[in-house]
Amino acid sequence: MQAMTAKELEYIADSMSNEDLLIKQCAVVVSTATTPALRNICSQMIATHQQHYDSLLHAISHHQSLAPTQPQ
Amino acid sequence: MQQGQHQSLLSEEDLASTILSDLKRVVREYATAATESTCPDIRQLFTKLLNNTLNMQGQLFQVMQQSNMYNTASPALRQELDKQSKQYQQTIQKTKQFLQQKLGNQQNGSFYTPAQQDQQHGNQGQTYYM
Repeated sequence: MQAMTAKELEYIADSMSNEDLLIKQCAVVVSTATTPALRNICSQMIATHQQHYDSLLHAISHHQSLAPTQPQ
Repeated sequence: MQQGQHQSLLSEEDLASTILSDLKRVVREYATAATESTCPDIRQLFTKLLNNTLNMQGQLFQVMQQSNMYNTASPALRQELDKQSKQYQQTIQKTKQFLQQKLGNQQNGSFYTPAQQDQQHGNQGQTYYM
């Protein structure tokens, strides 16, 4: 395994913001929508977006020990 | 002024459309992230998240379509299909001629194998730059 690039870290951080926003948007649908099919899919999506968020966060912690402490 | 807990400022149709747009944007972002990744494990992660997000977008679209929340685009006309089909049949014919010119007889009208391609590249490189 190699050290993560600065660009990769930026994409991971942006992706976590995206996933976080989607979790919240899906929660609003689950609590307000009246169409059952829409509520169901959004409640499933909350779980998937949470998994995505965890995977992204895990990727950062996985690479922490390989990251240099000085600019190279 | 406080909104009731189970009321939203947007209609459910608007909320669903917003999520659908965001999923489409996130698909593009994961595709870009995957193509610009250097670490194989990070590329693999972005590729997996890309596929999951693409699936979710497709499922949400289907639910919206079945709930009449989505106006499907009008179908392409028969004559437009005929026109594009004819045009691109001509394009591939020209490209086949181009291949014949560049790669020569070695092809024998069939598609190349990787081994042949290597040879051809060698030959081609010489004639090309001489």
